[in-house]
Amino acid sequence: MARVGVFVCFCGANIADFVDVPAVVQEAKRIKEVKVAIEYKYMCSDPGQGMIREAIVQNRLTSVVVAACSPRMHEKTFRKALSDAGMNPYMLEVANIREHSSWVHQKDKKAATEKACDLVRMAVAKSIANEQLHEISVPVTKRALVIGGGIAGIQAALDIADARIPVTLVEKSPSIGGRMAQLDETFPTLDCSQCILTPKMVDVASHPFIELIPYSEVIELDGYVGNYKVKIKKKSSYVDFSTCTGCGTCIQKCPVKVPNEFNMNIDKRKAIYTPFPQAVPNKPVIDAEHCTMLLKGKCGICAKFCEKGSINFKMIDEVIEREIGAVVVATGYDLWDPKPYEEYGVGRYKDIITSLEFERMVSSSGPTNGVPVRPSDGKVPKNVVFIKCIGSRDEAKGIEYCSKICCMYTAKHAILLHHKVHDSHAYIFYMDIRAAGKGYEEFVKRAQVETEATYLRGRVSKIYKKGDKLIVRGEDAQIGQVVEVEADLVVLATAITAPKDNPALARLLGVSYDKYGYMSEAHPKLRPVETAKAGIFLAGCTQAPKDIPDTVAQASACAAKVCGLFAGDTLKKDPMISTINNEFCSGCLNCVKVCPYQAIVTEEIPLGYGSKELRTVAKINEGVCQGCGSCVAVCRSMAISLAGFTDPQIINEIVAI
Amino acid sequence: MNKLTYFPGCSAHSTSEEYDHTLKLVMRTLDVQMEEIPDWNCCGATSAHVMTENLALALPMRNLVLAERLENKTMAIACASCYSRMKSTKKHLDENPELARKINSTVIDEGEYKGTIDVKSMLQYCYEEIGLETIKSKVVKSLSGLKVACYYGCLLTRPKDVTHFDSPEYPMSMDRLMEALGAKAMDFDYKTECCGASFSISNTEVVESLSGKILEVAKESGAHLIVVACPLCQSNLDMRQPDIERHTGKKFDLPVMYFTQLMALAFGYPEVELKFPKHIVPVEAALKHIGEVIPEPEKVKRTKKAVEAESEVE
Repeated sequence: MARVGVFVCFCGANIADFVDVPAVVQEAKRIKEVKVAIEYKYMCSDPGQGMIREAIVQNRLTSVVVAACSPRMHEKTFRKALSDAGMNPYMLEVANIREHSSWVHQKDKKAATEKACDLVRMAVAKSIANEQLHEISVPVTKRALVIGGGIAGIQAALDIADARIPVTLVEKSPSIGGRMAQLDETFPTLDCSQCILTPKMVDVASHPFIELIPYSEVIELDGYVGNYKVKIKKKSSYVDFSTCTGCGTCIQKCPVKVPNEFNMNIDKRKAIYTPFPQAVPNKPVIDAEHCTMLLKGKCGICAKFCEKGSINFKMIDEVIEREIGAVVVATGYDLWDPKPYEEYGVGRYKDIITSLEFERMVSSSGPTNGVPVRPSDGKVPKNVVFIKCIGSRDEAKGIEYCSKICCMYTAKHAILLHHKVHDSHAYIFYMDIRAAGKGYEEFVKRAQVETEATYLRGRVSKIYKKGDKLIVRGEDAQIGQVVEVEADLVVLATAITAPKDNPALARLLGVSYDKYGYMSEAHPKLRPVETAKAGIFLAGCTQAPKDIPDTVAQASACAAKVCGLFAGDTLKKDPMISTINNEFCSGCLNCVKVCPYQAIVTEEIPLGYGSKELRTVAKINEGVCQGCGSCVAVCRSMAISLAGFTDPQIINEIVAI
Repeated sequence: MNKLTYFPGCSAHSTSEEYDHTLKLVMRTLDVQMEEIPDWNCCGATSAHVMTENLALALPMRNLVLAERLENKTMAIACASCYSRMKSTKKHLDENPELARKINSTVIDEGEYKGTIDVKSMLQYCYEEIGLETIKSKVVKSLSGLKVACYYGCLLTRPKDVTHFDSPEYPMSMDRLMEALGAKAMDFDYKTECCGASFSISNTEVVESLSGKILEVAKESGAHLIVVACPLCQSNLDMRQPDIERHTGKKFDLPVMYFTQLMALAFGYPEVELKFPKHIVPVEAALKHIGEVIPEPEKVKRTKKAVEAESEVE
């Protein structure tokens, strides 16, 4: 015979003001299995938990119902109270009479009380059918995979490795550094980007716990949290990194020139190249799409001049495998192509450039040695118009969201322009100035006051050419008039977009992504770096547009999550997962289709006892299953059961209403 | 011989007679037989759709029904505004068959609307169905030496989801057509800006300011004349030009011609057929440029640094 204890919480006034708590206790006492029912002001407090522990022992309870706040809040707390009293923690049921009753029915205390009574009756009925469950232990491989070697990936890798956990860092391009390596100075302090980034890059390369695999891509991920297997494709670099000294003679001698993507194609690089002088690793790779030797079998000058004989034109792509326990995805961002802004003459006028092109020009190590110039004639511009929200917040031509960083980097560009060209003037067309962040508003003020940038609130409707100037026509909404600015150079603050490969990578990893291609976090507020797939975490712009401070913070948060995951030798997992009774399984595999976690696999079992013929049935991978219950709902033969939510439990609940 | 259903609109029979006339000449050369819709009515223009939505749909719908009865594949429309009304109505009716049935049965006696005809602007018809190669093959007098600014106005390519033709912001079809005739189409940033349209009568100042800007930018482009495909654009840019010059003190001297006039000219029709006296701004001086050799654009002088950067690039 079940012996249930019911503990009803006032939650201060949160519940008690709108639900008649003593009435709920009286109602509970009427249920025949309920041996004790108690009310208390704060059930989650130490005295409250003490009452539960005491009642369990004194009344020899078989299950416990706590009527209080959401189980998301305190289920763990109360489970622990049960354990402490020597009871299986899964014999607990929480009746959520706060979020589900008192908070949402504040105008009708009688109805709220009735509903609270219903919820308690249901919880009592369910708890009677509860079974003793035990946490699942899964083994864990203590090695992390970091995908992407920008500042997010670098920070995550360093933080994890500093905890003496091995990290494999995979980077698509020949060098780590990412977008941050392309920046000149960073807001809101104007730190030199290279000066704060390159030491970290070197730390990555020399860290005993980091295995850096550049010029590579993840092509397959199998397994589940703590026990992933990853396949990494190492693209052929045609240079043997183990013997190459990075002397650079091959680069000097190579006759083929190719647009330099690191410098936003403003200048050219060679077909054998390192992306930039401070590259890590500082070893060149051959761009197979442009190398004459690889295309036509002629040239080979680099090989002739290489004293170490490190050039190998016969090198092929290689696939390597690693066993890992967790993944940090840090693939960064792309920039939106402003071509749809035809009314601005994008693509027709050379002197309309993007912000990242401007950034490369003002960078001391950039293609114009730190001086902005007009691409049309190479003259140093005096009047520069910056236009914000190009593609951002533009449902017609671009994307709906705010790219978050453009207000700040445009203010930075105004300041940098003033630093580089003293007699210049910056005009900034904006929709709003979004400068929320430590020191950010002050930084924008600095651009407005110190550099006397003219901020014009309004959209630009048209850019047309007059002589060698560009006339920028837009609205100044603050004076309610159309204004025209004669510009030497126009800089477009183009939106941040998710890398175009992100959806493919997300599918490969089994994590979800949004309509823009950003990978989705498990909860927008409370689980911002976790994905819905256990053991895979997100850092930086792969999740949403963000600036460097936020990216670094998120990367460190990922590292903390990975370290937490690896803290024990095994992983503890909630036992609320699905099990399949394969005698009932018809092998329709609808469950495989609906499982959002790819947790259901197939297996072959004998058709009957002793039979040699086989049939296919579904099988749950315990490590991957998150207990969502989708498979239970679609199973036609009722072969699947979700622990903690079994049919008898649910039916009891329904009968109790 | 191709057959084409033709909707002239009220302007083609009055203010833009030269458009209508040259269009017929051009189509004769291109071996297209134009069949004007019998008993066509007003498209509703701006007035209908600011008054009542159903009237704004019913008026073009009757024309569509009449057009379908001629059983040609395409209806081409001379006026940009008629085109816009007709094309928008067709889209609206096709997306709301219930409404189409209702209007059809209550006010249109001429037959059942089927939604079968392609609605195109005259420019679109020339560009898509006749094609530049055919047009090029009919040119007997190349317009080389003539610099033109092609002005599309606000409706020929807009809204994009309705017209599905060319770019809504920087279209090039008319430019390509002019190039097929031998003329040089200039970069013209104001090719789709509003001319002020029907404010010409109720609020002339608006037209003077908007059309003034168009003329200014067209002049800046180096063009000898402006080419248009819309009667209202033509009348605003041409008829209001002297007033704009008087009020701004700027001199434009930019004739505004229909693309069909230039096609007729290139196809070898005598000037008397082109109806030049209908123009307010005289066209003759501009046409004298035909046959001139346009010099190659001067190479932009570049700074030493730029030259160095360039050599690095090459």
